[in-house]
Amino acid sequence: MHENLLPVALGNYVALSSVIFFIGVAGVVLRRNPLIMLMSIELMWNAANLLFLAFARAWLNNAGHIFAFLVITVAAAEAAIGLAIVVLVFRSRANVDVDEIALMKG
Amino acid sequence: MTVAFWILAMLLIASAIFVITAQKPVHSVAGLLAHFLFLAITYFMLSAEFLAVIQLIVYSGAILMLFVFVIALLSSGVMPFSAGPDRLPKIAAPAIVVIAVLLGFVAYAVSREPAVTPTLRGIASGPVGTAGVFGSVADFGHALFTLNLLPFEITAFILMVAVVGVILLAGDQVPYVPTRRRARLVERDMREAIVRAGEE
Amino acid sequence: MGVAGTYPLLFAIWLVPLAGAIVNWAFGPQLKRAAGVVGCVALGAPFVATLLSWSIATQSSGAVTGAQQHLLSWMPGFDFGLLLDPLSLIWALIITGVGFLIHVYSVGYMWSDTAIARFFAYMNFFVFAMLTLVLSDNFVGLLVGWGLVGLASYFLIGFWFFKPTAVAAARKAFVINVVGDVAIMFAIFLMFAKLGSTSFATVFAHVPALGNWLFLTCLFLFIGAAAKSAQIPLHTWLPDAMEGPTPVSALIHAATMVTAGVYLVARCWPLWSASHDAQLLVGTIGGLTALAGALLGIAQWDIKRILAYSTMSQIGYMIMGVGVTAYQAGVAHFFTHAFFKACLFLGAGIVIHELSDEQDIRRMGGMRSRAPVAFFAMFAAVLAISGFPGFAGFFSKDAVIFGALEHGHPWLYVVGIVTAGITAYYMFRLFFVTFFGTYRGDLDPAQLGVTSPSAPAAHEPAHGETHAPAWLMAAPVAILGVFSVIAGYVMIGANSPWNRLFALTFPAENLPAPALSEGWTTAILFVVMAAGIAIAYLRYATPVALADAPARLRAESQRLPAPLVKLFYFDEVIDWVLVKPSLALGRFFGSIFDPDVIDGAVRGLVRFNTGLGALVRGAQTGLLRSYALVIVFGAALFAVYYALQGAAH
Repeated sequence: MHENLLPVALGNYVALSSVIFFIGVAGVVLRRNPLIMLMSIELMWNAANLLFLAFARAWLNNAGHIFAFLVITVAAAEAAIGLAIVVLVFRSRANVDVDEIALMKG
Repeated sequence: MTVAFWILAMLLIASAIFVITAQKPVHSVAGLLAHFLFLAITYFMLSAEFLAVIQLIVYSGAILMLFVFVIALLSSGVMPFSAGPDRLPKIAAPAIVVIAVLLGFVAYAVSREPAVTPTLRGIASGPVGTAGVFGSVADFGHALFTLNLLPFEITAFILMVAVVGVILLAGDQVPYVPTRRRARLVERDMREAIVRAGEE
Repeated sequence: MGVAGTYPLLFAIWLVPLAGAIVNWAFGPQLKRAAGVVGCVALGAPFVATLLSWSIATQSSGAVTGAQQHLLSWMPGFDFGLLLDPLSLIWALIITGVGFLIHVYSVGYMWSDTAIARFFAYMNFFVFAMLTLVLSDNFVGLLVGWGLVGLASYFLIGFWFFKPTAVAAARKAFVINVVGDVAIMFAIFLMFAKLGSTSFATVFAHVPALGNWLFLTCLFLFIGAAAKSAQIPLHTWLPDAMEGPTPVSALIHAATMVTAGVYLVARCWPLWSASHDAQLLVGTIGGLTALAGALLGIAQWDIKRILAYSTMSQIGYMIMGVGVTAYQAGVAHFFTHAFFKACLFLGAGIVIHELSDEQDIRRMGGMRSRAPVAFFAMFAAVLAISGFPGFAGFFSKDAVIFGALEHGHPWLYVVGIVTAGITAYYMFRLFFVTFFGTYRGDLDPAQLGVTSPSAPAAHEPAHGETHAPAWLMAAPVAILGVFSVIAGYVMIGANSPWNRLFALTFPAENLPAPALSEGWTTAILFVVMAAGIAIAYLRYATPVALADAPARLRAESQRLPAPLVKLFYFDEVIDWVLVKPSLALGRFFGSIFDPDVIDGAVRGLVRFNTGLGALVRGAQTGLLRSYALVIVFGAALFAVYYALQGAAH
């Protein structure tokens, strides 16, 4: 199945991963909707995963796969908790604009 | 393959941008779904068959459904997402751009480094599931359950903590009561949650 | 150890008063007046036990005289035990014996006081403390007793705690006493540092090892003794201590506690015998105190204050006696003084009681018919304190004064003789003004020269409920009066019981015969004393003087020399030297150092941190997204850093 040398250089994967990661960062920083912020965080996780897998493939070492697996698990936990917090905030405040939730303002 | 990579790269970036620019969260979810599908294909191309499947099942199947549920819950009647003015400092967007450009340089520099830019090497082929074949399920499973058993178990523990946390956070609102009674109520909630999960 | 090694009866002597105190403390409300019975029994029993111990306490075996009882060993050099030798025997006998009589008297005196159980609890506690002091066989135990008697004295002076003057007097007494306690503590430190032990036996056996520190040790010990025994300049608390109930004055501030200093010096005689400087110091202070107390006694009108100054003066004699190493004479004066001074105080108490707490002798007069028992007893006691031949004070005072000459202190000899004359004068002045003539209490106070008449006593409940049986107060006074006469007879002759008793304790001395023989001394003393009595008689007791008493008393009140009225300015000097600087220092620390330096430092710290917080608070916008931005920025910095690191390779 993969007997041929893959022609795509590793640098391309790194670049692609960086671009996706920064799209995620921009989503977190620029959007006020906590759901979209969470989705942006998922984008960042996945960018990292892509990098893991690309390097694993490049070095033929499946430690990267293990890492990606762990990342997926933690991401799932994070998403569940994040969404629970969103629901909780919505229940108590009737809106979930993150700019309105500034209880930690000093 | 090169052509496939570039097409996939374009699609990944386009779907990601759609995710963060869509006005409605539901549209974002749709964009994210597409993004995950393209990503799964990319994983296949990187010989990570098991993770490609996991990507589809866990991300597209479970997490995105969770997002959809929450959106359905919150969007009933009101539009709660932007209640006040945008308080983000004006500097934010330019800052992101600067940082992105900066890191673009870094990524470019790294990708030009000979040590980390070998052309991906070829690997021995074999049926999927054969141990010793890179990326196969058997290969992955062997690594996961031998060398990385402890991290795997810790992951299980983290997931359990997350489940408990979610039940505590989003479960029935428990008014403040003395500790022992509170503990009993939490216990009851958990039992009900487990029963419900069993029924499903 | 000791004669028998153990002598458990000492426990009884020592602890029964404590038991009495505890019973009175715990069951006071139930006991009511029976508290007095408990108090008396708790003193009578140790008195009997002490008498029974006479023979064993005067036995001598080897180097040790007396009965010993080991209590506990704390650490090497700190063995605690009880010791009953002739010296502590005399003290214990006076404490329990005179104490017993005073307790009986107190039952009558405190009859209508509601806090009678508290009173007897304190009194018993005091006796326990005093016994701790005199029975201890080491300096640490002595110091414990020393401190406890100060505490008991504090309790009892301030017994009527609703009187501000009583509270102030109690505090003053306590503070000055603590000065002495601390001094003794330093002496103990010195002994332990140099000799490694605090037991009497060890310390006295190794006096030369103290070397140059001997005088300092003696000095510290004597500061303690002076504070407790009201020696100049630490005497100012004693007259004020008369704020306590009269039996307290008799027991603590006349008969027992104030003589603790005499006990201490007598107990430490090996130290004093070895240090000539210490002898000179203590003898001089004692002589000065005797003279000053007598002079101040002339100018007082309050009957208890006169007695207080006479006490100070007599203790000055004792200190002078033990100071010049005439230990036996000093202790003898303690012995006789305990009787006649307790008698005087208790007699004065009867008079005061009779007059519903009037203490100013100008407002007395003619008490001979109203208080006959007090009259006769006090007459005996006044003769005794004046040193009238045949009365108790004669023998001991004679011995002290002659002892000063014998040991080479002619100057102190002269002081002693002069003081004896003054003593005779002011004691007879008190006696004549109080008991002779007609009662003057009905007159206008101003007519008598009384500028601040005493307010009606606040503590005295309504008269006429139940009165104590008269004998309760009369009998002890009478007994003490009898002893004021006969107590001196144990000291007659070179082979007297007294001399035999103390031959075991104090070293025999072979002194060169002084210029004046003892017979001449007696003669001189008698003349001086007679002169004092004659002057007092002429001024206060001739028929003319008695008829003209109010006018004469008023004139005398107005003409009293200022230094005497102001008590030689001791309080003022102490105020200027110690209190004012302390207050100034306190004010400096209170209003400048504390708020500006210490609080200022704290406040400065607070201000600094507040500023720092305000600086950092700007970053805490509470905006989730700005936090995310900062995190990204930080992460980017790391990435750039690593990229540069990589490029550097």
